[in-house]
Amino acid sequence: MKNKLVILLALGFLISLPLSAHHGSASFADGKTAVLKGTVTKWIYANPHLLLMLDVKSENGEVVHWILETQSPTVMYPAGYRKDSFKPGDQVTVTAGLAKNGEPVGRIVNAVLADGTKLGDFRAESSPAR
Amino acid sequence: MDFAKDGKMLNRVCFSIIALAAVLTVWIGTSAQNTSKVTWPEVDWHKAPITAQNRKPAPKREIAGSWSTAEGANAGTQAKGVQLKPSDGNPEHDVPFTPHGLEVFKTHKPTEGVNLVPVSQQNDPRNLCEPLGFPRWNHYTLRFAQIFQDAAKVAVLYDYDNRWRTIWIDGRPLPKLLDGGVEIDGQFREDRWMGYSVGKWLDDDTLEVQTVGTMPEDLVWLDNAGRPISDQARITERFRRVDDDTLEWSETIDDPKMYTKPWDALKFIMRLQDIHTEENEDICSPALYKQYLDAFGNASSKQ
Repeated sequence: MKNKLVILLALGFLISLPLSAHHGSASFADGKTAVLKGTVTKWIYANPHLLLMLDVKSENGEVVHWILETQSPTVMYPAGYRKDSFKPGDQVTVTAGLAKNGEPVGRIVNAVLADGTKLGDFRAESSPAR
Repeated sequence: MDFAKDGKMLNRVCFSIIALAAVLTVWIGTSAQNTSKVTWPEVDWHKAPITAQNRKPAPKREIAGSWSTAEGANAGTQAKGVQLKPSDGNPEHDVPFTPHGLEVFKTHKPTEGVNLVPVSQQNDPRNLCEPLGFPRWNHYTLRFAQIFQDAAKVAVLYDYDNRWRTIWIDGRPLPKLLDGGVEIDGQFREDRWMGYSVGKWLDDDTLEVQTVGTMPEDLVWLDNAGRPISDQARITERFRRVDDDTLEWSETIDDPKMYTKPWDALKFIMRLQDIHTEENEDICSPALYKQYLDAFGNASSKQ
């Protein structure tokens, strides 16, 4: 319940993006995203998908541990994601697609790093010019 | 003679030469610097389209090169199943199952396609880092492939999991397909993850490749949507060198055990990349896969 409260508090805006991936799309609510501001605790740059662990403080002060995924390193590299993009302690803002079950897990849509750099969606970065 | 006037003219000429040399020096230096920055070139996903002006003729009977999917890196992902028949609910994308094929399909629990299940319920051998088997390697993140060729063979190096296969073009016959393997020179030979592939040139631009002797249905899937493939499959691929920069890669599935008739699975347009291009490593590690499922996949699909 507290997790759900955090999600509601964190809902900055809703956008509709097809979150098609290799693994586990059944678990995600199409188009529902949240803006999460928090502190990085871990960044795993490895197959099959990159994982970002993020502590997000809710308005009542409770800290919720979020786990956010992207695609594989090969897919995300053209979009600027690197092994040193996130470090424990970094304050970051991440927009993420949400899981249907209300658990604090999601898929990164974009991220604003501690230095203000914005990492976007891999689809835009790895498609040919039109 | 007016030496003063001539001297001014000489000064102007010298100044112009020096200025030009300075500009050239800076330009050459900058160019060299820019070039030297890229020592490990990456796939260029933004190549200019091929036009009548930049089109170069196809070399004859030659498909070697570093190739990327022309429609971008994600064109070859095929997350919902084979490129031409994604499992998306569109009736035109239905595949012609035999009763047995449908029965096997129903036992598969994919994480993509219309029959997708939560990660915690899936049974895709891919998620154990099992070999995908041929032809699924054609159907899985086909972003970048290196093709090498000599007089006897063509080798296809797949980016995903650093796998490769050999296509023999030296005139040897396609093995005879048997139950559980193939016959070569009167001897029974085992089935293989990559099967046995033989190619022949239909003309100067098109190499037709046939593959038999692939792994049985309990070990491999056809695609991410959980469509089945059996060891009785005959896979026909065509590699057509459209021009110097373009390769068309098509594939037809003929598996009478699983499908009532042959059907087309792929027709990718590939763009030639610089031979120095190296794609990032994309190896499947069982330990890292377990880490992912433990940390994320199971939490995301918790009921």
